[in-house]
Amino acid sequence: MNEDRTELLKGTLDMLILKVLALGPSHGYAIAQRLQQISKDFFQVHQGSLYPALHRLEDRGWLQADWKESDTGREAKYYSLTKKGRKQLDAEVLNWERLSEAVALILRTTE
Amino acid sequence: MIHWLRRLVHKSRTESQLDKELRFHLEQQITDYLKAGMSPAEARRRAQLEFGGLERVKEEVRDTRWETGLDNLLRDFHYAFRSLRRDRRYAFIAIFALALGIGASTVVFSVFYNLLFNAFAAKNASRLVIPAIQDRESVRKSGPDLEPLRLRLSDLNPVRKQNQVFENIVGYLAGEIVLVNDGLQMYQFFDGRVTSDAFDFYGVPALLGRGIVPEDGKPGAPAVFVISFKTWKGNFNGDPKIIGRSYTVDGESRTLVGIMPPRFRAYGSLQQIWLPITSTDGMPGTAQESRVSLLARLKPGVTVETASADLDVIIKRLASLHPDEFPKHFDARVESASDFLMGPQGGGPVFFSDMKHMLYDLLAAVIMLLLIACSNVANLLLARATVREKEMAVRATLGATRGRLVRQLLVETAVLTISACSLGCAFAWSAMRVVSEVVPQAGGGASLGGRIGGEIVIGLDFPVLFFSMAVTVLVTLICGLAPALHVSRADLQPQLTGGGKGVNGSFRHGKLRAALVVGEVALSIVLLIGAGLMIRSFYLLTHVDLGFNTKDILVAAFIPPPSHSKTPPVEWSFSPEGQVVLKKVVDRLKALPGVAQVAVQDTIPGYGPVRGSEVTVPGATHAEEAGLEGCDENLFQTLEFRLKQGRWLSRSEVETAQYVAVINERLAHDFFGDQNPIGQQVKVKAFKKPSQPPKDESFQIIGVISDVKSVGPQQPAIPMVFVPATIRGGFILLLKTAVAPASLMHAVQEQVWSVDRDQIFVVFDSLKDFFQKLTYATTEFGVMISAPLASIALLLVLIGVFSVMAYSVSLQTHEIGVRMALGAQQISILKMVIARGVRLVAAGIAIGLIASYALTRYLASQVWGISTRDPWTFAGVIMLVVLVGLAACLLPARRAARVDPLVALRYE
Repeated sequence: MNEDRTELLKGTLDMLILKVLALGPSHGYAIAQRLQQISKDFFQVHQGSLYPALHRLEDRGWLQADWKESDTGREAKYYSLTKKGRKQLDAEVLNWERLSEAVALILRTTE
Repeated sequence: MIHWLRRLVHKSRTESQLDKELRFHLEQQITDYLKAGMSPAEARRRAQLEFGGLERVKEEVRDTRWETGLDNLLRDFHYAFRSLRRDRRYAFIAIFALALGIGASTVVFSVFYNLLFNAFAAKNASRLVIPAIQDRESVRKSGPDLEPLRLRLSDLNPVRKQNQVFENIVGYLAGEIVLVNDGLQMYQFFDGRVTSDAFDFYGVPALLGRGIVPEDGKPGAPAVFVISFKTWKGNFNGDPKIIGRSYTVDGESRTLVGIMPPRFRAYGSLQQIWLPITSTDGMPGTAQESRVSLLARLKPGVTVETASADLDVIIKRLASLHPDEFPKHFDARVESASDFLMGPQGGGPVFFSDMKHMLYDLLAAVIMLLLIACSNVANLLLARATVREKEMAVRATLGATRGRLVRQLLVETAVLTISACSLGCAFAWSAMRVVSEVVPQAGGGASLGGRIGGEIVIGLDFPVLFFSMAVTVLVTLICGLAPALHVSRADLQPQLTGGGKGVNGSFRHGKLRAALVVGEVALSIVLLIGAGLMIRSFYLLTHVDLGFNTKDILVAAFIPPPSHSKTPPVEWSFSPEGQVVLKKVVDRLKALPGVAQVAVQDTIPGYGPVRGSEVTVPGATHAEEAGLEGCDENLFQTLEFRLKQGRWLSRSEVETAQYVAVINERLAHDFFGDQNPIGQQVKVKAFKKPSQPPKDESFQIIGVISDVKSVGPQQPAIPMVFVPATIRGGFILLLKTAVAPASLMHAVQEQVWSVDRDQIFVVFDSLKDFFQKLTYATTEFGVMISAPLASIALLLVLIGVFSVMAYSVSLQTHEIGVRMALGAQQISILKMVIARGVRLVAAGIAIGLIASYALTRYLASQVWGISTRDPWTFAGVIMLVVLVGLAACLLPARRAARVDPLVALRYE
């Protein structure tokens, strides 16, 4: 495995998936690709984490899934954000911002 | 939820969709690589490499779903069944041991729960209280003696209004006998007269018809009555048409309006019919003056203490109005109905019935038994776990997580415990039928005092089943968790490379298992000593020298109906009219085949007379409270008193009411010391009933008999004076029979009725039954429960010691083989194994003895006649456990001694 690409922090994957899906419905492969692109290949999203996460989020009712035809003409499972999911995303983003601010603050002050 | 359910139902669709989704991902990747210019083979290889195993991803997705867990659990169960079936003997022993433990605890819990928390059918029974009174004077003299408070009916309403603590308070008069006539037949029933709100208060609806309602108590209301279920079945053949019929009850026409359900025995446990107390009319003239017993229900949230304080103030105010009706110094308080029924004060000091304490002791005993059963099963599981270390190691290597292994082992234990629970409940169900027979009749004193009770039902009801399930879960965790964690912690390497009997592992196991056996033996010692003490005191109690013979005595009594209740039985018995009836009846009964002798007395032997008559002798400086007994010339022979000096009363002395007396040794000793009392005078300064003062208070002493117990077998004999029944009165008949007393009950009743059909005459039981119900029942109950518990404990110890020894011998086969090859004799091997077993048992005995020494004092209220550290009991129990321990070692030791060195060494 490529050493440069960092494994995701536990829990953040859920938030990132929700964020990507906030832009519009998408299927698993596209989500992985987009995460990789946006982070400029910094994140390596493994299928072994991505799909369990998608199914878990679906179970919790944050995502909803529909089978639709993809660009290539094949049927794919498209995930989209539900109302509950949007709320969850807002909450998690807020949390994340607080956390990173706090971490940044600590790093600045201890320098 | 619906989403989940759908997924459970359409499992295959979910699976195929997951497959489709992941394949789409893979193919999309390949397409992208192709676009990037890779060769098809290369693109496919890269994509698959990146994706990892398709199945693994699927498995991880599946793990996020709950139904996978269910699936695995089912598979674990399936596997557990299979592996237990392979080890049938082990499974059988474990299930049997646990079933005994769970069954026993279920039975004891049922008794405990139903006696202490479910003794009454009343609604909100936990708030039922009995107002009671304690005479400070008698507390000082003879210890706490709480008596139910009785109030004049006319005082009941003020108490109702003044108190702040009771939801309601009702009154009843119990225990009188009335004649009931339906024009064809005469019945004789125990009645309960209740204030008309008492049935609504109790809250148990009638089985048929209606109960007594407040309207029945209004002046001029039609006279009604209701009957008990037992009376309905027993005397009226369960005929529902009798409702609405009129009967003559105690000389008055009343309509039967209802039949109560079987579980209604309120207002006196003997009651067969209930009548409302109408406010003024329709009752014998003294109704407003009769003193009723009370039953109250606390308002929610009111404590017994608050209620007691409130009641004390009200009753003391009442007492200042009628000072002669209350003791000089007293405390009034309320006692919860259940405590009153089960507590030590319930039956008074004579009846020796601290059931409540005993129930807690029995519960403690059964918990010990359960622990013994648990340690047995844990032991077996540990043994099995050691054998299976290799299997577990293989599973772990193949990727099973620790949690998964623990769960699988717990499931195996659960299979054992659940089977044991079902079997245990079956045991319990059959044992309960026996146990309900030996539960002391609550209100055993009912024939004398009339107590609430008799509504106890021992069964496998919901709370009890819930309890045994909770026990099962607990047992699963206790027994299963340790071995499961143990196995799953095991280091893989030595397990896989070694022979499957990791030396270190089994050494550790061996210690734990030995500790379990030691604990088991220790617990069994405590249990056995407890049971032993109860058995010993039961033996002593039933073999007390009473001073008379209880064998083949039938007790019967005349009871004048309540309508003539101005004349108490004693006085009736020496009224001219009473004398005639009594004499006729005695003569007839004497002629009855099977009756050897008939005697008249005014108390029931063993339970009377009580202290209360002040006696002294001329020239003595003090007086004593003695028991005064009116009797006839036949009593001596009937009860087989032992004469010490002089002679007994003669027939002519009784008939002509001579002032002669026979005293007991205690009185003779107290007043005359070593002098001869014959011919001396004894003065009865105060008769208990001042309404009938004797003409003269001096009696000439004509004889001395040895002491006779009269306040229960546990108490020392009191000073006693026997005088002619023609002076003192006597209405109780004692029949010495040549056949079984119970077989004559009907014939005796017939004979009395042939003399006078209007007499209320009750044939009670044999004298032995009185002792049984009033005195022995509680102790016997303790023995009947604790002795089986102790026997089961002994059996479990046998199994426990045997299994641990057999197992350690099988582990040591190799070592023993080496020893024998080097020349050890069979006998020395035998000794070695037995010595190890004995060491375990001895350690257990030592710990058990220390524990018993500390714990048996809690049995003090159950044990009578011996110390709670009775050396004979302790010694006997040690002997028994040592014998059982030896027996358990013998078989494994013999097997060890027969090891063939060649075979044993080949194990290598």
